[in-house]
Amino acid sequence: MISMAELQPVAGTQAQFSFREVGDKVLITNREGRWLLLEAQEFTAYARGQVEAGSDLHTRLRDDGFLREGYEVSTAAERLRARSSFVHGGPNLHMFVVTLRCNETCAYCHASRANMDAVHTDMTKGTAERAVDLVLRSTSPFVTIEFQGGEPLVNYEVVQHIVNYATERNAEIGKQLEFTMVSNFGLLDEEKLDWLLEHRVQLCTSVDGPEALHNAQRKLPTGDAHQRTVHWIRRINERYAELGLDPTLYHVEALLTTTRATLPQWKEVVDCYVKLGCRSLFLRPIDPFGFAERTRRRLEYPRAEYLEYYRNAVDYMLELNAQGVEILERYAAIFLTKILGGHDPNYLDLRSPAGAGIGALAYDYDGNVYTCDEGRMLAASGDRSFQIGNVHESAYRDLVGHPTVRALAIATNLDTQPDCVHCTYQPYCGTNAAFNYKTQGTIFGRMRDNAVCAVHKGIQDYLFGKLAEGDPQVLDTFERWTTVRPRDHFIQPAPTSEP
Amino acid sequence: MSTTLPEVPQGLLEVDLHEGSAIVQLDATLYPLPAIYAATYAFIDRAYVLLDRPAEGRVRVTLWSKQPETTAQALHDLVGELANEVLAGAFRHRLTQDNQAIVETVTMQAMAGAMGPPSLEDLADFDFTDTALDDPLGIAQSWEEKHKKKAPQSPDAPEPEGTP
Repeated sequence: MISMAELQPVAGTQAQFSFREVGDKVLITNREGRWLLLEAQEFTAYARGQVEAGSDLHTRLRDDGFLREGYEVSTAAERLRARSSFVHGGPNLHMFVVTLRCNETCAYCHASRANMDAVHTDMTKGTAERAVDLVLRSTSPFVTIEFQGGEPLVNYEVVQHIVNYATERNAEIGKQLEFTMVSNFGLLDEEKLDWLLEHRVQLCTSVDGPEALHNAQRKLPTGDAHQRTVHWIRRINERYAELGLDPTLYHVEALLTTTRATLPQWKEVVDCYVKLGCRSLFLRPIDPFGFAERTRRRLEYPRAEYLEYYRNAVDYMLELNAQGVEILERYAAIFLTKILGGHDPNYLDLRSPAGAGIGALAYDYDGNVYTCDEGRMLAASGDRSFQIGNVHESAYRDLVGHPTVRALAIATNLDTQPDCVHCTYQPYCGTNAAFNYKTQGTIFGRMRDNAVCAVHKGIQDYLFGKLAEGDPQVLDTFERWTTVRPRDHFIQPAPTSEP
Repeated sequence: MSTTLPEVPQGLLEVDLHEGSAIVQLDATLYPLPAIYAATYAFIDRAYVLLDRPAEGRVRVTLWSKQPETTAQALHDLVGELANEVLAGAFRHRLTQDNQAIVETVTMQAMAGAMGPPSLEDLADFDFTDTALDDPLGIAQSWEEKHKKKAPQSPDAPEPEGTP
């Protein structure tokens, strides 16, 4: 639609901008993340430096920092600072792999699990304590310890020990401390649930969609993984209600892994999540870590097919929202918070630089520390490129000041990336160094044929397409998706002073 | 037996199916050496890689596939990947130079934000004999230390290595 030969930009009129055709409009964005959707003739006039002073278009362009005339450096700097506030934050997410043992066998998970008799893959209390000591050295005033596995309930005693030890140690340090656990709930019982609720551990799970799909991908010897998970989701939600917590805010959220088999079942997946009372669905594509080549061919899919699935699913979610059903798509919510809200929700793989090491750390059962969970999974396959130390040997500053962390901060800075540096979506985007390394051989990757880039671009094309259509109902839903309501109940209470 | 690929200009590429190898010649004025190092290094898990300089302004990359039986298509893909990676590396090299100030600033702030100031414990553990304080030229030595008479060598002292 736009003929580059006809544009003939005039030096000195436009401020920095990037552009991309979205439907029959042209999206322009700038470094500060401001954006406008222009009609084709408006864009041509802008690019040629022929926008009439005093016109509505001139005002819109000037107010959002697209013209040199009236460009306010201090305002632009403030906007940029608001979008990059995470840079100073330090690691706030600390992933603890308390065991590799797992009661389920999942089609897509090999590097992250061990059989139930592999007791040597349990984290010891001593290792756990050293890891907690490091967590509490983080410069971030807010820290979340996330229990992962394997299945963390297999090493429940150490989970309890970590909660008790961290809470006790934090009494004198005073960080805002939270615990979350990602569990399949297969080993949960009422006694454990009582304890976890009493200690305000937020519970999350994995649901791969409807029963048949879930049970085909996540196998228990009894063949009832879905039924067990669903039972406990309902039970936990009941318990939250009994505690007087707002059910629209406090309920079990679940994570989906999208395999080839999921793609045609987008409607069933959304319906399943709504039926379970989940308010959010993260349509994550499968990642390439931890399974064999043969399995990859069975589970993987072209990203174009994924994007069709994504669009179908989110279109359907928007329809449901229009009918009063509140369900949001997590990817969309993250991007829209940046696009519409002007600030960054600090999702570690969608920021520049990414959060590996500087925003998050992963602690393996044996005390080895990695910049990210993907790095830990790579190590399980024999490649320790992302290991930055061990809790028994490394001081906190050695870990986060490790040369690998610095290399990742540079590699995931989009200002060093061909394509990204000129991309219209740069202010809202990010890249994952471990994924690049695994799939393209370097931590930089090549965005032109990078699957994560294709997904990010495709989702943002979809979202800006919806913004361009301007359906008030959709815009209202999008605004709602950017509203973050804090779940304060899960913050560990400050210690009461001695009488 | 060496052959060429029709889509590549004469003299730039040779492939040897029997040996499972490919030789690519790069113009060193187009591709900066750091970009060539970075790009070729990314191939060492898939191939054995040798760099040399057959002529002024030329860098020659020889790749031997690690796969036992390499097909023409596999070699073609290897060379294509290398060409793309070298271009990406060269572009990235340029961008890193162009955006050096902003990249350094962001990285420094990110690292400082994560590390924080050193605690007293960190300072107590600091190794002040670190290599940064090495003094190979003897600049920090006093004149007396630097030029004092050396003690006569013991007749039992071992001969230095390399003595005939």
